[in-house]
Amino acid sequence: MDVQNIIDRLGLQVRDLQENFNSLVNSKSLGIFGKQFCRILSGTLLTTNVNLLLKNKKGGEWEEIYISNPDCTNCKKHLSENDFLDMKFFNEGKIRIAVTVPLVNESFFGILIGKRLDNEPYSEFDKIVIQMFILLLDHTYQSFINQKREKDLNFQLNHRILQLNSLIDTGIEVSKLQKSSSLLDLTLERATALTNASKGRLRIFENEKIISKIYFPKNTPLRNEEIKKSKLKTDVTFMQYRYEITLYDKESRSGIIDFDITDEVLLNAFARQVYTAMENEFLHEEALEKESLQKELSVAGDIQKKLLPEKMPEIKGYDIAGINIPSKEVGGDYYQTMELNDGRIALIIGDVAGKGVPAALLVSTLDACLEAYLDVKLPLPEMAVKINTIIYRASPLDKYITFFIAILEPKTGELDIINAGHNPIFLLRKNNKLEKINAGGVALGMFDMGLPFEGQKLKIMKGERLLLYTDGIPEAMNINEEEYTDQRLEKYFMKKKPAKALTFINNIVKDVRKHSGDTPQSDDITALYLIRKL
Amino acid sequence: MVTEFSLSSEIKNDCVILKPVGYINNNGGEKIFKEYLSFAKKGMNKVIIDLSNSKVINSIGISFLIEIIDKLNDEKGKLFFANTDPSIEKTFSIMGIYQFAQKAATVEEAFKKI
Repeated sequence: MDVQNIIDRLGLQVRDLQENFNSLVNSKSLGIFGKQFCRILSGTLLTTNVNLLLKNKKGGEWEEIYISNPDCTNCKKHLSENDFLDMKFFNEGKIRIAVTVPLVNESFFGILIGKRLDNEPYSEFDKIVIQMFILLLDHTYQSFINQKREKDLNFQLNHRILQLNSLIDTGIEVSKLQKSSSLLDLTLERATALTNASKGRLRIFENEKIISKIYFPKNTPLRNEEIKKSKLKTDVTFMQYRYEITLYDKESRSGIIDFDITDEVLLNAFARQVYTAMENEFLHEEALEKESLQKELSVAGDIQKKLLPEKMPEIKGYDIAGINIPSKEVGGDYYQTMELNDGRIALIIGDVAGKGVPAALLVSTLDACLEAYLDVKLPLPEMAVKINTIIYRASPLDKYITFFIAILEPKTGELDIINAGHNPIFLLRKNNKLEKINAGGVALGMFDMGLPFEGQKLKIMKGERLLLYTDGIPEAMNINEEEYTDQRLEKYFMKKKPAKALTFINNIVKDVRKHSGDTPQSDDITALYLIRKL
Repeated sequence: MVTEFSLSSEIKNDCVILKPVGYINNNGGEKIFKEYLSFAKKGMNKVIIDLSNSKVINSIGISFLIEIIDKLNDEKGKLFFANTDPSIEKTFSIMGIYQFAQKAATVEEAFKKI
């Protein structure tokens, strides 16, 4: 072979190497890589028998990457574990060349080449060509491995993005879910899938007693015989419940592996989301409950306002004024004036034990009873017995009404009175003597034993004054928790005798407020004041 | 309701329809891949995977689907995913699956497109 011929053939080989580099690097698998390499080499060396083997480390087994002639596998003995390129040539036998190529990652390629088609021995030129191809093999294999690593890295990176994305999405989704069970299902499902766990379990404990279990995939409870190879657990406590999430058997293409720190971080993040979602759900329900209660109170308050007199009646020879300042939206105090068919006027005051909607309902019942019975002209003690029974049946055990009624005959000043458990009513005589009206019986609705009510008859004379009030006035407290007191009220009532009833009402409220200062009103303030002018 | 994984398949015209049920993890992914291979050996290279009963997949399951895509690309075949749940759809988008496979709202739509 002359020099020009060698140059031409080498040029051809170099072009061949360049052309085949990319296709080798982009091989789908190591098997395809080996097959392609062997075919390129066999075309160049005029042989059909080129085989490629791989040994991962010294002392390991030779793995067959591509075998064109199964008989040659017996010739692995010709391959070595030398740290340098080892080429052996044989003049006879199935294998004529055995090459061991040490790679940078401490593995080895083994190449076994059979005889040429023309049975000629391999030339020196062929030996150079083989060395060139070994270089190609080394470089393309490194590139092939790097490309595979790059793909794996890309996959892992995408998986991390997916995990983060899913964590955010799950956070948004669970915050929209209103049922705890749905959010737990979703969380368990996402936590299992994103950590590549094969199974997930969520247990709910109340006082360390299991009250519920959820599995993902659903309906696949853990069987006793199932021994799990890897496990990751976290828990979160909300109110009296402890939620324990356990993930089992992290999957990989090479089998079950241990969960890593990222899985732990991810699972804890999911657990935090569960806690936040449950807290939000709880606060949301609480807010809805409050809103609903507020609406109820507002309606009840409106109803109760309608039960109070819009304006005081004009009674010839008398001046009358009244006030009701509830401490909450719906108070428990009640006052009323009713003009009866025979011209008499009923002056009523009452105080329900408790406030809010139940109190408003009782006040409403009392008002309806009075509307119904007062014009029937029943003696007051009889009427009180009947109303007591109705109130008793309409009220829970802890609810009753203290009640005072005085029916005034305007012409004579006669007062027909019943005091059912209410605080004493004050009558200020002309001689500045205070009379306290107590006579009556127990509060309405307290007992239904047919206990009698005792009536009382009095007369109010010209210049005399009557004060009906509820305990919100004497029991009004200041910042030091000191009450306004009955004594102070009596004193005020006896001392202040303005010409107009409304002036007294306004001033007594001012005096109570002066005592209370900035202390919030703890009870309803209700009063009715009557002056006989003529 | 998701239970243990199961898989059914059918051939319609010259197309393979794979219908997994349940969590596509290592076990599920491997079953899908093996089922695909059994049809690929017969030269079938048009595949529709109906995901109407599989709402959750992990990355190991995805790696098996990538192998199917890889093999179909070699065979100049086509793969369609149909009835994908929004969360799986997002997963596939992030993992880059739709660069190599198609999606269809329903199996019927996949038939028209394949």
